[in-house]
Amino acid sequence: MPKKIRRVLYNSRESFKNFFLGVPKSTRNLYKEIPNQVKSFKEWIFTFRGSLTILCLIGTILVPLITQDDYIITILISFLIFSIFAASWDLLAGYTGQTSFGHSAFFGLAGYTAAFLVKMVGLHWIFSMIIGASVAVLFGLIVGIPCLRLKGPYLALGTQAFSLILFNLFMSGDLKDILGSTEGISGLPVMAEEHIIKFFYILIIMIISFVILTVIVKSNVGTVFKAIRDDELAADASGINTTKYKLLSFMISGFFAGIAGSLYALNMRAVNPSIFLVLYSFYAIIMVALGGIATISGAIVGAFIYCVVLSELFKPLGAMGTIFLYFPTLISAIILVIMIRFAEQGILKPALEHLREFYDFLLGR
Amino acid sequence: MIFQIESVLIFGTVQGSVLALLALGFSLVFGVGGVLNLGHGAFYLITCYTFYLIHRVLYLDLITSIIISLIVAVIVGAVTYLALIKPLQDSHIGVVIVTFAMAVFMQEFVKVIADIKPHYIPPFIFGSIELLGVTFPIQFVFVVIGSLTLVLLIGLFISKTKIGKSIRAVSQDREAAMLMGINADRILMITVMISALLAGVAAILYAPTYAITIDMGWSFLLSAFAVTVFGGMGSTSGCILGAFIMGYAKTFFSVFISTSFATVFPLLVIIVMLLFRPQGLLGKKEV
Repeated sequence: MPKKIRRVLYNSRESFKNFFLGVPKSTRNLYKEIPNQVKSFKEWIFTFRGSLTILCLIGTILVPLITQDDYIITILISFLIFSIFAASWDLLAGYTGQTSFGHSAFFGLAGYTAAFLVKMVGLHWIFSMIIGASVAVLFGLIVGIPCLRLKGPYLALGTQAFSLILFNLFMSGDLKDILGSTEGISGLPVMAEEHIIKFFYILIIMIISFVILTVIVKSNVGTVFKAIRDDELAADASGINTTKYKLLSFMISGFFAGIAGSLYALNMRAVNPSIFLVLYSFYAIIMVALGGIATISGAIVGAFIYCVVLSELFKPLGAMGTIFLYFPTLISAIILVIMIRFAEQGILKPALEHLREFYDFLLGR
Repeated sequence: MIFQIESVLIFGTVQGSVLALLALGFSLVFGVGGVLNLGHGAFYLITCYTFYLIHRVLYLDLITSIIISLIVAVIVGAVTYLALIKPLQDSHIGVVIVTFAMAVFMQEFVKVIADIKPHYIPPFIFGSIELLGVTFPIQFVFVVIGSLTLVLLIGLFISKTKIGKSIRAVSQDREAAMLMGINADRILMITVMISALLAGVAAILYAPTYAITIDMGWSFLLSAFAVTVFGGMGSTSGCILGAFIMGYAKTFFSVFISTSFATVFPLLVIIVMLLFRPQGLLGKKEV
């Protein structure tokens, strides 16, 4: 490789690092000396968090491979999709402090776009997914501009208004030819013939999403998000363009919610207006509240508890009669209230602390 | 054309009076406690279904069932305040999430006690009236008269009685009011109960004209929110004015353009108002 190109590549890598790690050149050495800071992937694996993550990942890969059970794979797929959705809500609400109750709007819009592209245009599902997510990003921009005038609880209602309106629009018969009103779009082509291959596709997308989200949250941008959440006035006074960053947060969150929505539609092979229901926003909120607000990885824990543990626990209820069919959401609403009231930290952080003690004990520290 | 304008006038008045009842309670709670109650639609929902169950399933007479369902609404309001709003008053996001969970809970609860099919409540008096060439059910007369009377009564209550004066005092300056010996928590509880009562009355008056469904709480919440943004957050007179303007505008669009545009209209109002006049029609500018 010519020297010049190598230098350019090196420079661009360095500037990229600076952007994400947010460390000016002069202080980079100081930054490296912090003992807990991990330098490479190899070292990261042997840290507490790293080993735990790898362990969980291996578990997620091995369980469907060993059991080969379609039911387990279906449940795990829904867990993966909803964990992306919950994490996108967490980025917007937990980190930037912009509580959105209309997250199902991103979810549904992307789902409809992906379904439309796959069915009517015949695009490959990966491209439809990306285009669906881009539509959600655009929608985030459209939602963000008026809603930035709203603060705190008002924002929650303002965003909810968007999802309700979309629900009414997609339900109404006026646009029946394109959107299919109440029936929606169904009969999409399958993502992959085998269930397990579909599972691995979604797993890879989920891992990539979480890596990107974690990088964003740990970067300079994430710090700015947190500053806006903690004190918007102070952030404004320190020269941060809060409007720009809030819009950015809306767009990033919209992108990942869009990816989740497209995957949901592609996985279900059908989409109908109920995807815009408030219930889907509720799912994201309860998952994040279970896992812990303002922890991206908490979304995975919350989604696992809600989609796998709780739904399995509630399964006998549904078999008892049609009345009990509605109990899961009923009980989870109560759980949400209790979580917010008594355990705002969620499950992840306290659980990690206890595990850490155990880990230290094992290593004999 | 003239016939259509007349029907816009009449149906708009009906819509406006229902919106006024809903938005007044919503805006009162915000003005007094700074609390945005996402469970406001749930008050409407739960009153509708209580009324339906008592009147149509247990076959009690009209007056008794109205009184019982209003009492249920007020109790639900009080419980909402004591169990959910009061402990989390300091964190605004916490209150919003908790009341949201309450609304979801109510929706699922209604699914359990009734079922997901739409239900019909018969009007108080069967029959219809012809006014200005437009025929409409007698129930609409009850809606308009009941709503206007209640709004007037609430206005009198707030301006004349001691509790009403305390409500105004707390909404102006909570700390100063507490220093004057007003129990601000109790006042907020009374306000939430009043808002539940208003939503309940709106439900009882308006529900007999349409089918009741499990997810209608959200659209009423959205309308109340749109009216509150339109009229000015925390301003009572702006709220009532906004409600009637919204009512006329919604019926105008559904008559002249299309019903799906009329459902989008509240959103447009929210966006336009937020972009050009964030404090609302009659609201005070934030310092």
